[in-house]
Amino acid sequence: MLQFITKRTATLVAAVVVSSFAVFLIPYFTPGDPVRKIIRSRVAGDAVDDSAVQGLSESLGLDDPLAVQYFRWLGDFFSGDMGLSFVSRTPVAEQVLPALSVTLSLVTMSLVLAAAVALPLGILSGLRPGSVADKAITAVTQALIAMPEYWVAPVLVLVFALKLSVLPTAGWNDLSSAVLPALTLALRPISFFTSAVRAGIIDAAAAEHVPAARARGLSQGQAILRHVVPNGLVPLSTLFAVWFAGLLGGSVIVEVIFAVPGMGRLLFDAVVNSDIPLAQGGVVVVVALAVGVTTLADFVHRFLSRTVGGTLA
Amino acid sequence: MRSSLRPRVLLAAAAALTLTGCGFSGTQTQSTQPSAAADTSQRIVVDNFRAPVANWAVESDAAYILSLSGCLETLTTYNQAEGKVLPSLATGWKQSSPLDWDFSIREGVKFQDGTDLTAESVVSALNHVLDAKVPARAFNRTMISSVTAVDARTVRVSTPAENPLVPYRLASVNTGILAPAAYKPEGLDPFGHCTGPFTPVSEKAKQSLTLDRNENYWGGDVQLAGAEVRFITNGPTRAAQVQTGEADISLSIPVASLAALKADKGVSVLGADSPRTATMYMNNGRAPLDNVDVRTAIRDALDLDALAASVYEGAALPATGPFAPSEPWAGEKQDKQQQDVEEARKLLAKAGYTADRPLEIIAIVERAEFADVAAVVQENLKNIGIPVTITSKEYASAEPDVMAGNYDMLLSQRNRLIDIADPIGFLTADYTCKGTYNLSHFCDAEYDRIIAEAASTVDTNERYKLYAEAGRILQDKAVNAWLVNEQATDATRTNVLNYVQDPLSRYVLTAKTAKAAS
Repeated sequence: MLQFITKRTATLVAAVVVSSFAVFLIPYFTPGDPVRKIIRSRVAGDAVDDSAVQGLSESLGLDDPLAVQYFRWLGDFFSGDMGLSFVSRTPVAEQVLPALSVTLSLVTMSLVLAAAVALPLGILSGLRPGSVADKAITAVTQALIAMPEYWVAPVLVLVFALKLSVLPTAGWNDLSSAVLPALTLALRPISFFTSAVRAGIIDAAAAEHVPAARARGLSQGQAILRHVVPNGLVPLSTLFAVWFAGLLGGSVIVEVIFAVPGMGRLLFDAVVNSDIPLAQGGVVVVVALAVGVTTLADFVHRFLSRTVGGTLA
Repeated sequence: MRSSLRPRVLLAAAAALTLTGCGFSGTQTQSTQPSAAADTSQRIVVDNFRAPVANWAVESDAAYILSLSGCLETLTTYNQAEGKVLPSLATGWKQSSPLDWDFSIREGVKFQDGTDLTAESVVSALNHVLDAKVPARAFNRTMISSVTAVDARTVRVSTPAENPLVPYRLASVNTGILAPAAYKPEGLDPFGHCTGPFTPVSEKAKQSLTLDRNENYWGGDVQLAGAEVRFITNGPTRAAQVQTGEADISLSIPVASLAALKADKGVSVLGADSPRTATMYMNNGRAPLDNVDVRTAIRDALDLDALAASVYEGAALPATGPFAPSEPWAGEKQDKQQQDVEEARKLLAKAGYTADRPLEIIAIVERAEFADVAAVVQENLKNIGIPVTITSKEYASAEPDVMAGNYDMLLSQRNRLIDIADPIGFLTADYTCKGTYNLSHFCDAEYDRIIAEAASTVDTNERYKLYAEAGRILQDKAVNAWLVNEQATDATRTNVLNYVQDPLSRYVLTAKTAKAAS
């Protein structure tokens, strides 16, 4: 266990360093002058005064060599200071934490919704592979993969906000305002979760211990509930964690369309505006959470495998 | 909460507002006219296209949000309909010497924290803008040498050279005046520190600003109890919110949403010329586009009517030159450019152009429609024998080559009034020989002379005549191909009263803005 924790901690530190360095380099390896991008993010318009560029560059320390700039940031970070945003000149933490809170809520709602839909569908489908129900469920859930968020979101707005007038079009105020963005984000996970549960159930149902359990006197329903379903759900924990980590910074389209002030928008704007400290701070938090969540998922997976395995023995 | 925001259908009929203009005909600003009584207990929701990014720094574009919200006020304002600068926190001004302008500060104005507006507080506020690390385009040390208090009610603004446009500069939202307590070491705090009809009371970061009526407003009774200004950067979402009634006013409606809004009886759509003209910049400094005949041929080859109708779906008008026809400096009525393929071919032959020198158009990706515009232009130029390749690039990626003169043609658009309500900055930066943003690499001594004269001409009408003359030179020399004049489009619920559209979205909520009873 100690070895596992040590290994994961090392992974976390390495991930933070690598990701923060990669983000740090983006403005320098993408077209355009980073300082001009910062100025344009504050003052719209193309013409930028050279003296303003020079003045801002000096005051932000962007004239220093890249290595100096990066290690200055890294030193501050490991002493607990994420720095000031280049654009707003406010502490990065004050922007990242509220956005993270919003995204955590949104992603949790989306994945819980996805799991709630996928579980019964996957179980039903897996217990009767090849049936009409299985084919229908597979067809519908596979179709969801082909629906991009930038198409699904306006359709949902059209139906639920404009036509039915039952939900707001955008914003992040109360539970009702979270429904459409959560639903939009949930559609693709529903598809993947359903497939995973279906496959898990089929495998579990084909295992030798199921006929053995029947031979011990369990009814078909009891055998499914005790042995097939728990085994079938094990892969879901890992998949849930992977999607959770991915959506932490990957929900930018949904956040823009529904005006949700989350991490996706924050990271996107930070990169576009060359707001390096904000982008670094945001990415580091997302990466750290992703590593944490996947580590937790590994624990859960091991625990479930052992527990479920124990019942089989 | 939501249901209270959604006006009922009957209300829309009762409110029955009319528009002073109709459709997009290249008009000046439009407004909603009241035919129902205002209910002063109403609150209003405005969807703005811009979110504050710079911690409310007044020298940044955040000043637009504070201004449109009815919080931030300036010494002067620019009246779009009248085309002139009017008093606001200053009651008057005069040029006391060639380099000095004296502004008389209005008496009886209090900041929302109860302190008095004085010459000292104005000086402090304006010097804060001058000292900004990222200076405001309209008001910075290059054109303003000092701001001082002459006496308790007079502020002197001095310039390094004679500058007739100082009153225009003080209408820029970046010169908004806040109470001394607003300027804190950690940034600007507008809460309770403005002078306008609305007081900001709370902010949801990246989402919205909530304001209440300023009961002590110097400019008369405020007709709304309060407002919420939302930061909705996605255009279709703004359009949907005004349709559902979640928003009362939505600014900058995208073309794709216009048809649905126009068909909605509960919504009024207002359009006006924006100070933006989609332009195909041509590199006047490099062959073959250094030949005026080649440039003229390219301009003659373009079918602007088709372009406006197809790519812009009728929500933009074919351009007549570097200015929109409704702008007071556009000069006498200009005819729109007519496609003349035969003439274009003759000019190309005269210039000795041959197809073995294909041209490249850079379409910047920040404006999605430019890819389609480029395709239309490519087809038009093919008809006169010019092979064209299209390259899509981010503006930041294209800029170094464009500024260095290593390009043929670039599709872009510029705001002519980005700094002040006068095109001098644009005409100087973009077209004079030493212009800092001369993408066309155009240089003409006569043009420079006219612009220099305009820059020191106090009389507005005379200055506008000089701008028109400068515009004619640009047109005659076919410096660029001006394609379409873009329209600023806002939408309001029909129970919104006294909303006057400002194409630059500086003024939205005023003391007079109101809503009919629901």
